[in-house]
Amino acid sequence: MKDKIFGVLQRVGRSFMLPIAILPVAGLLLGIGSSFTNATVLETYGLMGIMGPGTILNAILQVMSQAGNIVFANLPILFAIGVAIGMAKKEKEVAALAATIAFFVMHASISAMITINGETESMLSGAIADVCGITSLQMGVFGGIIVGLGVAALHNRFYRIEFPQVLSFFGGTRFVPIICALVYVLVGIWMFYIWPVVQNGIYAVGDVVLNSGYFGTWVYGLMERLLIPFGLHHVFYLPFWQTALGGSLEIGGKMIEGAQNIYFAQLADPNTEYFAVSATRFMSGKFPLMIFGLPGAALAMYKTAKTEKRKEVGGLLLSAALTSMLTGITEPLEFTFLFVAPLLYGIHCVFAGLAYMLMHIFGVGVGMTFSGGFIDMFLFGILQGNGKTNWIWIVIVGVVYFILYYVLFTLLILKLDLKTPGRGDEEEVKLYRRSDVTTRKNAEHQDISQNLKENTVSATIVQGLGGQHNISDVDCCATRLRCTVYDAKLVEKDLLKSTGASGVVQKGEGVQIIYGPRVTVIKSNLEDYLASNQEVFLENKETAVEEMEKESYYEKRGKVTKTIEIFSPITGVAVDLSTVPDEAFAGRMMGEGVAVVPEDGVVCAPEDGVVAFIFDTKHAIGFYTDSGISLLLHIGIDTVKLNGEGFETLVEVGQHIVKGTPMLRLDLEYLRDNAFSVVSPILCTELENNQKVRPLKEGSIQVGEALFVVDVYEVL
Amino acid sequence: MKTFSYTITDEIGIHARPAGLLVKEAKKYNSIITVSVGDKQADATKLMALMSLGVKNGQTVEVSVEGDDESIAFDNVMNFFRENL
Repeated sequence: MKDKIFGVLQRVGRSFMLPIAILPVAGLLLGIGSSFTNATVLETYGLMGIMGPGTILNAILQVMSQAGNIVFANLPILFAIGVAIGMAKKEKEVAALAATIAFFVMHASISAMITINGETESMLSGAIADVCGITSLQMGVFGGIIVGLGVAALHNRFYRIEFPQVLSFFGGTRFVPIICALVYVLVGIWMFYIWPVVQNGIYAVGDVVLNSGYFGTWVYGLMERLLIPFGLHHVFYLPFWQTALGGSLEIGGKMIEGAQNIYFAQLADPNTEYFAVSATRFMSGKFPLMIFGLPGAALAMYKTAKTEKRKEVGGLLLSAALTSMLTGITEPLEFTFLFVAPLLYGIHCVFAGLAYMLMHIFGVGVGMTFSGGFIDMFLFGILQGNGKTNWIWIVIVGVVYFILYYVLFTLLILKLDLKTPGRGDEEEVKLYRRSDVTTRKNAEHQDISQNLKENTVSATIVQGLGGQHNISDVDCCATRLRCTVYDAKLVEKDLLKSTGASGVVQKGEGVQIIYGPRVTVIKSNLEDYLASNQEVFLENKETAVEEMEKESYYEKRGKVTKTIEIFSPITGVAVDLSTVPDEAFAGRMMGEGVAVVPEDGVVCAPEDGVVAFIFDTKHAIGFYTDSGISLLLHIGIDTVKLNGEGFETLVEVGQHIVKGTPMLRLDLEYLRDNAFSVVSPILCTELENNQKVRPLKEGSIQVGEALFVVDVYEVL
Repeated sequence: MKTFSYTITDEIGIHARPAGLLVKEAKKYNSIITVSVGDKQADATKLMALMSLGVKNGQTVEVSVEGDDESIAFDNVMNFFRENL
């Protein structure tokens, strides 16, 4: 169970990589754009002239800011789609569409509930957000993730569903968006009741922060980080930044409320001598974390990635680390380890709290527009001068944080073998061990028997199209399966029709098989079949060959064209091969034949032929009969261990001998006492598919008496 | 074509049982798998041929894999040698 959860988390984490890849770019646009369009910043540095509203530079920066912001504003829906794509097994594009629909439906439902209950006023500030134009609950990427996961689960369950003919148009993949939309109406209504409760709980933590000094600052930092994945941090920190909860201060004769407002008011006030730490304690902690700590973590992840993967993850980690350092946008980096290694994120949260606390203790008074990157530190710390901000402590603490994060992440990743980027093993070509193959086979077996019916149809279609190698591509419209083949001559229309098609149209390489509305299901099955066939073929070839052999004997065999007799090489008792106390022989792994329990000490040639080999330990002889059969005479079981003791060879390798020529003399007494068993398999090791061993006798047998025959069938 | 060398660590060399297992393994693949020692070589799907090589402990065999599934066959056969011979 634990492994399963972990496996799912890992897949979720990987499916995040797609939307995360855009974040560094968006972050830079947003970070640079918004910092240099901030009116207070521009006024303070006298940049109004060149960058103020109305200038071209300002226009460019505003566009940058908006272009970057839109990505972050819509992160929830991007995650909904990304997770659905990542988690869906097949037909991923359908999952993406369904996730988009479900996301809208959920938020629209929440929005409707809010309107109906008229609760917009009474809700906490930061609790309501504009989600893609819908006034809904602020659920952050968490809202996207529950949509993505739920849709993927529904998709995997239903994408091959079949309905009665009348409704069959809505079957298969078309059903997925339908069911998702319905389910997420309910989820939306449910969330309307659940989420505000959660939000209120978070809000209550704010009191703890206010009433407990340095410790409170630590709690603030911890909570803020901890809530990011759930989008709940807005509910938590916004009150501190924007309301009296974050303190109030009289600046230039005006009463200012909220930490961020206080900072910017002080920034604009030329009389400020030192920034109020009581306000900046809700902000400054981000700097050492984002400029120093997280890049240290990124370096650790890079160093611990597999050598061959470093190049690949290096790009991602470097850009994510740069984004964090410059703009203070940390999601790209945090999401790379949040889901694959929640423990690391937990530790990260603790240190985030500590960073805030340390900044508070050292009286650092650096504020920010929205996050703690180098741009903000430069504008609001360095440019303000150390005398007003004490910003130097950011660097001092930061350097320690860099080392701390690097060492801690490296140690934990290696020690616990956490699957941070470039350390996962799924994508690799795995060396299969026996047990893996067996488990897989069993799993596949269940799967196969479940889908046996579908597979038969798919298999017949593939055959009708001239085999898998002949299929170029497969698609479908409302009623037809549209396939393109490489060689039109290999298509067998009758076979295709036999799969339940109402018609088959062929124009050159294009083949259309008309099934009616249920075609989407047939197409999905066919694609599954085509995708899995290659592997299954390899894994099951063994079984397939065995089955084929059986089939060729029992169904497809023609007349017996030849019968080759093999005579007992020794006097004794003939027994069925399956009674041999060695699974390699009993399981026919070594070949087909009959075993003899010797009662006499001379092993003779079972036919005219050549001695192919005699083992050094003399317990086994290979023999090629003139009639073309390869025989293995294995005297006793585990007799290899006797090292030749009890055996005496009478012929030489390569010698041509006639039937009945003594080949080996046995010390039966010795063998009976020392060998695991004296039962001796006489086997045909290399039978062709049209050759079959037919035992002739069980019970006592004389040397030279016919033991079994090999029937050679006509190949049909 | 991919090849590897392997020094037999099984005390008795390629005798009946491991040879049988090797044949079973080799038959899973489309690739032609050849085991050679000195100037003698054998198709790994032929039990008699394999045993005729008379490979003993400490001898080094060359195994070559050639065919459309040679990468997977190569890995698995190499693994097989390590585990069984």
